[in-house]
Amino acid sequence: MNPSSANTAPDDAWHVGDVALASRFLLGTAGYPSPQVLRDAIVASGTGVVTVGLKRQLAVAGDNGFVAMIRDAIRETGARLLPNTAGCRSAREAIQLAHMARELYDTAWVKLEVVGDEHTLQPDPFELLVAAEQLTRDGFTVFPYCTDDLVSCRRLLDAGCPLLMPWGAPIGSGQGLLNPFALRTLRERLPDVTLIIDAGIGAPSHAAQALEMGFDAVLLNSAVSQASDPVTMARAFRLAIEAGRAARQAGVMARQDYAVASTPVTGNPFLIGGAP
Amino acid sequence: MNDTVSLPAETIEIRLDGQPRPVAAGTTLAALVASLGHAPAAVSTAVNGDFVPRGLRERPLAAGDVVLLFQPIVGG
Repeated sequence: MNPSSANTAPDDAWHVGDVALASRFLLGTAGYPSPQVLRDAIVASGTGVVTVGLKRQLAVAGDNGFVAMIRDAIRETGARLLPNTAGCRSAREAIQLAHMARELYDTAWVKLEVVGDEHTLQPDPFELLVAAEQLTRDGFTVFPYCTDDLVSCRRLLDAGCPLLMPWGAPIGSGQGLLNPFALRTLRERLPDVTLIIDAGIGAPSHAAQALEMGFDAVLLNSAVSQASDPVTMARAFRLAIEAGRAARQAGVMARQDYAVASTPVTGNPFLIGGAP
Repeated sequence: MNDTVSLPAETIEIRLDGQPRPVAAGTTLAALVASLGHAPAAVSTAVNGDFVPRGLRERPLAAGDVVLLFQPIVGG
């Protein structure tokens, strides 16, 4: 089975550079109860991109087999790895970590995270831009985890990022799309840019909403890994993302302030008690 | 009988993953990685905050060098 072709219609692929991706679901790999559950969630999600990280080696090696299971799963599914720079607080740190990730994972893709606030884990737009410029020069394909600020997003595109990954809500909060106005503005002002909602999604309905709004994909982790049944939740997100994408393509009806009768009757269907 | 006494190799102190660690003078980064039981491709390395690619680990470490090793892990 190759789930990368299962999430959306074959002719609805999206692209990162020359790479065509069918699934619009990018899945994180942290916090699962066991390697087997993680593997099964990856398969059930149909994802074509899974995120991974790096950690400082602190004397005792080993991660209980999670990374080995990820590698097995992507061999099985054809998914690609997207290493992150989680934990970085400066451009310099992120640049160095990205280079290490490229060596360890043998990919030039990097999810660029540079956090500017400990409480919200909000991206630091200034350090992010510096890192994006340098890593692009160094040959990376930079997936920047950013805020929904339009102007800083434009600067990231100017720096060479091929896509943007604005947050929906703080990482791990599960609050969904907290600022639909800003996100709609991004979508409208950057109509040809690949936009992925990254972080803050808690429920499949949030993911469906993002796709309905015209976002190209979603990246999430905790909403699946922290579910009581992560494998079933991975499938639920897959279905919601499919539904949201199909709805976007079909064209969601415009909102109305007042009722508009749907049944095409003319006047009163019965004349009982009506005027003579 | 040979009366020469082999002196202990000069040692220097580096910091490895935040902890002080004595190593023989002249020890290379590659030798340090190997001495810790890691295959060369299993870890990535940084010295004094700068990435050191696998192919450049033959450089000798200097006293006070801050060495960090990184390994793959799950991530979001």
